[in-house]
Amino acid sequence: MNSSDDPLEAELRALGESLHVPPPPEAMAGRVLTALREPAPKRRFTTKRLVAVVAAVLVVLVAATPQGRAAVAGVLRFAGVEIEVGGSAPVPSGSPSPLPSETGAALAEARSAVAFPLVVPAALGEPDQVRVADGGQVVSMYWDAIRLDQYDGSLREVWHKELGEPFPQQLWLGTTSGVWIPQQHGVEYLPVGGGAPVSLRLAGPTLIWQHGRVGLRLEGVPDVEEAKRIAASVR
Amino acid sequence: MNADDPPPLTDDEAVGRSLAGDLTAYEALVTRYTAIAHRTAFLLGAGDEAEDVVQEAFVKAYRHLRSFRRDSAFRPWLLRIVANETHNATRSRGRRADLSVRLEAVREPGGPEDPQDTAVAGDRSARLLAAVRALPDREREAVVCRYFLQLSEAETAEVLDCPIGSVKSRTHRGLRRLREEVDRELL
Repeated sequence: MNSSDDPLEAELRALGESLHVPPPPEAMAGRVLTALREPAPKRRFTTKRLVAVVAAVLVVLVAATPQGRAAVAGVLRFAGVEIEVGGSAPVPSGSPSPLPSETGAALAEARSAVAFPLVVPAALGEPDQVRVADGGQVVSMYWDAIRLDQYDGSLREVWHKELGEPFPQQLWLGTTSGVWIPQQHGVEYLPVGGGAPVSLRLAGPTLIWQHGRVGLRLEGVPDVEEAKRIAASVR
Repeated sequence: MNADDPPPLTDDEAVGRSLAGDLTAYEALVTRYTAIAHRTAFLLGAGDEAEDVVQEAFVKAYRHLRSFRRDSAFRPWLLRIVANETHNATRSRGRRADLSVRLEAVREPGGPEDPQDTAVAGDRSARLLAAVRALPDREREAVVCRYFLQLSEAETAEVLDCPIGSVKSRTHRGLRRLREEVDRELL
């Protein structure tokens, strides 16, 4: 994967090679072996250790509270979406792009262009617009401000999201589970053939769930109950 | 004992023997990976403490060798411990990890090149390095792993303990920022 036509990447590799790094330590093996032959240090409650224990307990407490969870980096993989929760919400850099090779299609065309069964939420009716992208990897349907993306959610991570607080909310849609992201967040699409992720515009509140092997993300419905109602109506 | 030199142990054989308590086998692993471990610690910000970080990482790796999955590669597993130890060291130092590296003197060109070109190239490298230093932590770590250490995306993901998707997006964002930064300064 190191072959690349990007001159900046080549320049960075060359820069790395020209960096002055101190020579590697000699006799490291001897130092390590000496350390390993010493008996493991006895556990004494020195101040340093006590501080460490208190810090560990705090981390557990923080991680156990909903407010604290977002402070601890975590990764949630769900229905083809990788959600990374970190300390702060990253501001997407650069301008938003469409999905790779995105084209408009009639619903019937879209159905035959993709390898997974498309669904339509009865609560919204026929979509105003249907778009197929990345060689049939993703189908996006639009109704006014609402967007529904469908993709094969069983094979790989298709979307990547990085969020700040709050932690996404896990909920039930009948017998399947879903994830609700209430805040605005950056979304990136991970193309099927590898390559650079495509960053989309800032997404609004989003509901993510899986219907059979199809992953769905519903965006643009600000109220979670309404989003759940739409999700429950997919056929 | 064979008269011929025995072939060098593979990583997996060395791990197997180390698990059985053979410290000589572990010594072979330490010798094999000291240079990359040290470079990783240094470039991720361990600075003067890089040697201690590497020693501690090898000691911890040995003590946790049972948790190593034998069907995976030893190098990224070790480098992840190195990265963790580097974080611990920089955190206890109470300051943000930085790339305490300086540019090696610009190499003498082989032929009769215009010294102006060399100076410009050196200047650009210095600016690029400064821009890498100024990246947000996550993006900087990804860029350092991918380009300065020349690790694969999968190795970087393991070393930084994050999904491959994050490596891709952090690298991508970092590159975009670097490009903007370097281009801006050219104006």
